[in-house]
Amino acid sequence: MPVKFQSLRFGAVEAPEEDVLDFPFGLVGLGGNRYAILEHGGGFYWLHSVEDPALALPIVRPAVYFPDFALEISPTDRERVGFTEQDVADLFVTVRAAPDPLETTANLRAPIVIHEGKGYQVLNDHEPAPLRAPLFELAEQPREQPVPSADAA
Amino acid sequence: MLILTRRPGERVVIGEDILVTVMGVSGHTVRLGIDAPAGVSIYREEIWMAVQEENRAAAAADPAELPSGPPQAASEQDGETSA
Repeated sequence: MPVKFQSLRFGAVEAPEEDVLDFPFGLVGLGGNRYAILEHGGGFYWLHSVEDPALALPIVRPAVYFPDFALEISPTDRERVGFTEQDVADLFVTVRAAPDPLETTANLRAPIVIHEGKGYQVLNDHEPAPLRAPLFELAEQPREQPVPSADAA
Repeated sequence: MLILTRRPGERVVIGEDILVTVMGVSGHTVRLGIDAPAGVSIYREEIWMAVQEENRAAAAADPAELPSGPPQAASEQDGETSA
């Protein structure tokens, strides 16, 4: 049975049951107990509260944008959620969108992990894991080649 | 706010099942040990505030602010394009 809910952004939404997850501890500072993962396109998804039509966060899978991303769940969170990074079935990071894509960032410090059909926001102890990692760069950034200078000799 | 004075090794009990132990004091630094049931969130305040701030900012997103796809995706396009 698809799960139906209202969204301030998208109107009436129907999500397949398997895309609706319990978040036993909610999101830090936002709460929420059930979220649907909705596809936006282009690798973006929305983590959308099923209970609050206004509550939705863009998310991406970090591997797509951050090849060096690594997860190391903090010891206190390992204890809290009862599993380690080895047991994570799927992984997302929240996106702080901005009108200028170059200012759009992802939070690598507090990723969303999926484990046995439930979602958790955990602290990532891996370094570096910036709170605001730029998602995009200029595709063809004119970069000055470090030319060996004759003067330096 | 309740204010208690404790020495290293002494504890504070919060509710039925949270135990805070003063592990040691060195200069301006206090080390605390916290025993709490699984499921209780324990964060350093500054990281908790920072994550809360990022979550709130993320939750303010306008769908129009999201690009329809990563700029390098031309070669990986699976026919899915959003307007």
